[in-house]
Amino acid sequence: MKLLGALSFCVVVSNVCAFESDDFLDRLDAALTMSAFHDSLRARLSGTIELEDYHFQQPAPALIDSKDDNLLNLRLTLFLDAQVGPRIYFFAQARLDRGFDPSGRGANLRLDEYALRITPWDDGRFTVQIGKFATVVGNWVPRHLAWENPFVNAPLVYENVTAINDRVAPASALDFFRRYQGAKYELNPVIWGPSYASGLSISGRLGQFDYAAEMKNSSLSSRPESWDVTEVGFNDPTFNARLGFRPNQMWNFGLSASDGAYLRPEAERTLPPGRDFGDFRELLLGQDVSFAWHHLQLWAEFYEARFEIPTVGDADTFAYYFEAKYKFTPQLFGAVRWNQELFNRVNNGAGGRVPWSQDLGRIDIAAGYRFTSHTQLKLQYSFQKETSAPRNDNHTLAAQFTVRF
Amino acid sequence: MRCLRLALFIAILALRSSSFLAGATVEGRVELPKSHAAPVMAKRYEIVTSGGVLSTSPPLAVVYLDGSFPKSNSRETKQIAQKDLTFIPSLLAVQVGTKVEFPNLDDTYHNIFSYSPAKRFDLGRYRPDEKPIPSQVFDVPGLVTLRCDIHEHMRGLILVLNTPYFTITDAEGRFRLSGLPSGHYTLKAWIDSKTTREQSVELKGGATLPVDFP
Repeated sequence: MKLLGALSFCVVVSNVCAFESDDFLDRLDAALTMSAFHDSLRARLSGTIELEDYHFQQPAPALIDSKDDNLLNLRLTLFLDAQVGPRIYFFAQARLDRGFDPSGRGANLRLDEYALRITPWDDGRFTVQIGKFATVVGNWVPRHLAWENPFVNAPLVYENVTAINDRVAPASALDFFRRYQGAKYELNPVIWGPSYASGLSISGRLGQFDYAAEMKNSSLSSRPESWDVTEVGFNDPTFNARLGFRPNQMWNFGLSASDGAYLRPEAERTLPPGRDFGDFRELLLGQDVSFAWHHLQLWAEFYEARFEIPTVGDADTFAYYFEAKYKFTPQLFGAVRWNQELFNRVNNGAGGRVPWSQDLGRIDIAAGYRFTSHTQLKLQYSFQKETSAPRNDNHTLAAQFTVRF
Repeated sequence: MRCLRLALFIAILALRSSSFLAGATVEGRVELPKSHAAPVMAKRYEIVTSGGVLSTSPPLAVVYLDGSFPKSNSRETKQIAQKDLTFIPSLLAVQVGTKVEFPNLDDTYHNIFSYSPAKRFDLGRYRPDEKPIPSQVFDVPGLVTLRCDIHEHMRGLILVLNTPYFTITDAEGRFRLSGLPSGHYTLKAWIDSKTTREQSVELKGGATLPVDFP
């Protein structure tokens, strides 16, 4: 009820003062943009304020970490973009919220991204970047922030926790399945959100093709705590790559691959004798396609991933989603996304073979309205159905109000 | 000799009547605000990044004669292009009823939109070779702020005016507005969304009136 009041207040204020608020935020933008040395050094501070609320059934879906059925999350995100001459670009992203993923915990301030990028040639044939930044894999990353994402949440493959636990290696297959019933935040998805791991990347465009490759300190499934280079070093780096083909502005096709150790250093003491955590890898192949024309945008991604699990063997999964967004009017848009993730069967330690996590499908339906060019409200309904035992269903309602400055 | 006198008389008469019929001119200078800081493009999640920097558009002013003038019957067409990830020109003044085309001269998508009360529209994503060139008719006076849904830094302005008598200053603030009707009018200088200066002017055919907006 409180949220409804807060959202109604935001909506009324946004609508009544649309022109004034746009004008004010444009002036704020100008005030937060600075340049020096005859414009050779330019910097801009910008950000978003997000107020979001989730209402869901227990157990909480995806990476939401809360014992309550309602979760209110306020987030402040600040970006710094700086250009030094035509060749050097630097950016950083800091967030103040209740955790990287929505949770019932207290306030948390983080430096999520920082990177230095050098582009030696004007035509974009080669770029090198170093720092802590989002992965090059797939096509979801460019729209993962609240303003660009038509939904409140991420596609299933980026947030559905599997039975993989990167902190403790299972002592046996039985132990592996037993741990799956434990605390959700101990478990990992196939790709953890935008995967802001640390490392180095190269990328560029050659005609209709573009390429990107990166060496990161942790795997795509690794938790946000592993993304800092102070937490996980480069002893067993992860290698990710994407090859893209863009025949014209409408279509974009991509092939991605990843290979990296997914266990955290503290898992080493739980490994079988003589084995190193670098022996257990996450291997991933991905295909992505996107289409855009006039007011319609379509995206799809397909991922085949394999986790090498101590004492269990190889565990494979296949996940995909189709997503569509359409702008009905200049300010109103709708979006729908179908997600599915399927798991192969592994030995359960009791003589049987069972899926190593729950097969599930999820449909996300969202509507968004931009009151001004700086304020946006999104409403989302998701229905998730587990198609293998224990067949839990989950209905989730989410709302997100964003102010961009 | 009679012929010569007649010719001289006709010439003098023609000169006098042309000076009576010729429009008035105002010229002068508008004190412009300081240059904006150069724009910065957010390239955080672009796999392919081109080198180079965005060009800086200096502040300009629109000087126009305010008043009640008959609407033009001919529908004029103007253009604002998207080139090198900026709007060119970044400021356009048009009379009510003008059609503005938005050609995309970049090899990437743009998505121009405006939520301004004077004109609300969203052109969607369109290719550089798309025909006809996406356009809008601006039929309500006021300020229209153009933005791109893909490139956050892109900003352009269209000032839709009721009058056919307007001009845009140069980067120094200098302007010259000619062909104006004789009479008593208000001359305005639009500087930004919050600042419009004005002065009363008495215009006489063939005369040039100096007007500065300090």
